[in-house]
Amino acid sequence: MICFKNVSKSYGDSLILNNLSFEIEKGEFTVLIGPSGCGKTTTLKTINRLIEPDKGKIYVDGKDISQIDRIKLRRTIGYVIQQIGLFPNMTVEQNICVVPKLLKYNKEEMSEIVHTMLELVNMPYDEYAHKYPSELSGGQQQRIGVLRALAASPPIVLMDEPFGALDPMTRTILQDEVRRLQRKLNKTIVFVTHDMDEALSMADKIIFMNEGDILQIATPDEMLENPADELISNFMGKRSKNSEIPSLTAEDFLRTDVCTTYVSRGIRESIDKMARRKVDTLLVKNADEIYVGTLSISKIKKEGKDHKTIEPLVNPHHTVCYIDEDAPVCLDRLLNGNDSYLVVLNRDDTIAGLITKTSMARALADAVWGDSL
Amino acid sequence: MKQFLSLYGDRMIRAVYTHFIYVIISISIAFVIAVLLGILLSRIPAWATVVIPLLSVFQTIPGIVFIGILFLYMGMIPATAVIALSIYAIFPILKNTYVGIIEVQPQYKEAARGCGMSPLQTLLRVEIPSALPSIISGLRISTVYTVSWAVLTAMIGLGGLGELIYAGVSSNNNALIFAGAIPAALMAIFFSWLIDLLRKRLIPKSLRRDGK
Repeated sequence: MICFKNVSKSYGDSLILNNLSFEIEKGEFTVLIGPSGCGKTTTLKTINRLIEPDKGKIYVDGKDISQIDRIKLRRTIGYVIQQIGLFPNMTVEQNICVVPKLLKYNKEEMSEIVHTMLELVNMPYDEYAHKYPSELSGGQQQRIGVLRALAASPPIVLMDEPFGALDPMTRTILQDEVRRLQRKLNKTIVFVTHDMDEALSMADKIIFMNEGDILQIATPDEMLENPADELISNFMGKRSKNSEIPSLTAEDFLRTDVCTTYVSRGIRESIDKMARRKVDTLLVKNADEIYVGTLSISKIKKEGKDHKTIEPLVNPHHTVCYIDEDAPVCLDRLLNGNDSYLVVLNRDDTIAGLITKTSMARALADAVWGDSL
Repeated sequence: MKQFLSLYGDRMIRAVYTHFIYVIISISIAFVIAVLLGILLSRIPAWATVVIPLLSVFQTIPGIVFIGILFLYMGMIPATAVIALSIYAIFPILKNTYVGIIEVQPQYKEAARGCGMSPLQTLLRVEIPSALPSIISGLRISTVYTVSWAVLTAMIGLGGLGELIYAGVSSNNNALIFAGAIPAALMAIFFSWLIDLLRKRLIPKSLRRDGK
């Protein structure tokens, strides 16, 4: 589909691309990655002739692109940039139609394109088509940026760090969306990034560049297993295959700073304790230190007046797990149960602590990325 | 008041009309020249670094001097007034057009190029629309100034509201001065309003800096 043959480019004395040769197959998602100044963006821009190489040839579908009119060439290749670059004077609809309009599609065709395109990203036509870019969030803007590149159904789409300016959450969502669109529409995508996570999660093939040279071309798995260069392994950091997530148990997620009380205590005293420790629930145990249930402030508010001790208000059905149970079991109970935290018990039914979503996330992060967090 | 109007009413209407025509013609000519020149300079920024400072120095020559000099060469014809006013009106529009286009953020130009727009298409569909707020604010400055500069045309006997003002000053007649000055002020406000209307028509809300 795209074929580089001995492509070189330099500005003055500095060599930007050093005799590059590689091929990109049709329908493949190729990611160009490397440190700043490695030539990845330059490589990308030679494909739609925003930059002309000094030496070498680039073929698209077997045709030498230096022989194709560059303006016509660009209309057949989608292009998404990091700064998004939606035209501020045009509505969403007009922005999507930029290339179809240049190609002189008729009105019905363009209207149909806008409708199908917006549908692809779940942005209702009536709500969004007539908005201006400045009225959209960053994520929505870049969705439209992607749609603009796809509108005239180019077989190839170039993306230059398209999600670099987005917050991590939006970035993940858009990565998934673009990957889904790429598979659905069977596009050949060339994608530049300096984020290895992004490369690993999106690419069919990663081309790792440094100082104008290609260090390795491989699938994400191959690259994880056999990085060809120390620089690549550094780039991948701790993500290499052999560091599997260690098996964790409830103990690893435990928060031990819990507030407990005895089942025979008075209601007023318990409220006092909650207020002092700034919590809304207490773990309740009996005189033998055996766990009996939980006591929540809302329950006290509702029925507290009628009782002297807390005993009748204790909820014995709170979700629990044992300290040596496996992490996935606990996680499942935490995420799918009705309670916002788990009570963790020792095997002798005394209280060990609790697991909240926060403590879970923290422990998982520690396990994956080390104790640096 | 009634007496005043019966005495000067005709003269006032004629003066307002002449003044108005001078402003409209001069601004139209200036606008076309300034926008074309501004676009040209934005294509060749190297020239702009010479041309724009030169013009801004010229702009500091008092209007009265320039009209006087032009009068010596061209005589007492309306064209003298129109040329003088046009030349003065060019600079604010030219500068705002040039700056407006130059300041279009590079990502829009890059996106336009990447989408396959020719340089002309980029200019017409992206650069000029993005520069429009700046161009129109240049137009407003020029127009308001031209309304006041056009007072000077009376100095060389070419009519307009200045005629009433000069006559009032020389005969110590305050009413006559007001009869010239107030319509001139109203005319400036009217043009300003007209341009505001144009701005609202032409520029999408999102591009207007004040969001109105």
